[in-house]
Amino acid sequence: MNATVGVLRRELLIFLGAPVAWVLAVVYLATLMTGFFVVGFPVGDLRLPGFWSGGYAALDALFAWIPLSLCLFVPALTMSSWAGERRLGTDELLFTHPVSIVSLVVGKFLAHWAIVVGLLGAAIVPAAIAVRSLGALDLGVVGAGFFGAVLLAASFVCVGQLASCLVADELAAFLVASLLLFALVGLGLFVRVLPPAIVEVAWYASPVVHYVETAVRGVIDVRDLVYFGTLFAAALTLEVLWLEGRRWR
Amino acid sequence: MIRVDSLHKTFRDVRAVDGVSFEVAARTVCAFLGPNGAGKSTTMRILAGDLAADAGSVEVAGRRVTPDDPGSRAQLGYLPENTPVDRRLSVVDYLDFVGRLRGLDRAGRRAAVERVLGLCSLEDRARQRIGELSKGYRQRVGLAQALLADPPVLVLDEPTSGLDPAEIARIRALVVELGRTKTVLLSTHVLADVQDTATHVVMLRAGRVVAAGSPLDLADEEAPEVLVTLIAPTPDVEQRLLALAGVERVSRRGADARRQSFALEVDDRERVAGLVLDLAREADWRVFELVQRRVGLEDVFLRRMESRA
Repeated sequence: MNATVGVLRRELLIFLGAPVAWVLAVVYLATLMTGFFVVGFPVGDLRLPGFWSGGYAALDALFAWIPLSLCLFVPALTMSSWAGERRLGTDELLFTHPVSIVSLVVGKFLAHWAIVVGLLGAAIVPAAIAVRSLGALDLGVVGAGFFGAVLLAASFVCVGQLASCLVADELAAFLVASLLLFALVGLGLFVRVLPPAIVEVAWYASPVVHYVETAVRGVIDVRDLVYFGTLFAAALTLEVLWLEGRRWR
Repeated sequence: MIRVDSLHKTFRDVRAVDGVSFEVAARTVCAFLGPNGAGKSTTMRILAGDLAADAGSVEVAGRRVTPDDPGSRAQLGYLPENTPVDRRLSVVDYLDFVGRLRGLDRAGRRAAVERVLGLCSLEDRARQRIGELSKGYRQRVGLAQALLADPPVLVLDEPTSGLDPAEIARIRALVVELGRTKTVLLSTHVLADVQDTATHVVMLRAGRVVAAGSPLDLADEEAPEVLVTLIAPTPDVEQRLLALAGVERVSRRGADARRQSFALEVDDRERVAGLVLDLAREADWRVFELVQRRVGLEDVFLRRMESRA
């Protein structure tokens, strides 16, 4: 536990101490807010107007933007989690301390997840306050949407961290994680153009589908929890096994 | 305190460690010597628990070190080559992080950090980011993290590499001081480090141990030397020196327009020195300098590396 907290604290200190991380966070929030208030969500079947032109009190366009925006933001955040350790050579020292790899992996995951959740909160909470001051916003739906976004962020962080663990350098980790996440998100967004035989599988495999269920309808479904739990456990287990295996290579 | 038994490690087709065995007693500074690629760093990484051996075993403080047993790494502080400490953190934040990984509670971490800051003379750099420090200070941070949990065994991979003479002297003095209470395995290419610090030496070549013992014992095992500098008109000086009784080997050590220098490995330095003088008189050579000497660690190292080449 001490080691997990140590890694969590170290990752947060590194993020907070890096000017580029602050720039990344500001750009992310600005993009999300512009998408919500001005542009709307013009992608896939679920097209939504921007808040000013739509004229109804809901955060649907904001929630719709979250999966796509996280496809870039999360890989940018997680790309150096292991690939950066390898580049700096700090992994050699890290693995010689008397701690389990699980505690290191979980510490890194919690730190990255906390950063993403913090930024999602920094986007959703002010947007909700602004919309509520203008109309009758359903806070239950907003809460469920936020919860769905938190689960979505957890699964995306797991995938991003796994990519950083599997590939050689940070840029490659970013590209692999982004492509993987865009593919997963695209399965849900463009399900109509897929061959009928794989539509059902693609529908269930996409995290967006499970996220939209909670975000748009305000319903937390056990099947969605199972989906995110499975993705989370599979990615973290693979990451731990891969890192354990490096000692034997 | 450290026991390495029949250790083997192969990376794809390269046999990095090939049956290495040695022991280091408690409160001993042991120098780990060998050319690049001899298997020193691989052996040290296995000792530190970073790599798994293909075969063989390592024990530190009576406990077998295996990668799947994190607790087995608690008895050892490790400083890898190039000191890969986290440059993005301040010195105290980094040491606090290491303290957490080492299982120290808040009070324990605070006390340990203060202790190693003093021991490594880092107090005035405590709040500075590690990436902003000079190489010497970064090396001290690396030593500080290895010492933080006060482990009985230290494994230091080239701790003086690339440092200025003052910093080298400081780290050597620290290693000598640590050797009074801890077991230190020290890898280095600088043989002066060994002469000043180590009481035991293990030499590796091509993944195998080629010599082990105290520097004095190893020097005693080697043939002594006679160094001769002379002016000779004939070109066959080397052959004639080699033909003397008791001379095992002759190597040229340098020459200028007039003088030539040779090192003779001999069985009895006094007798051979006399024979050299007799030969010089007979051949009308002018002897400039004649020195009889016991070999040093550098000679032992070079001979052991050459003899197995």
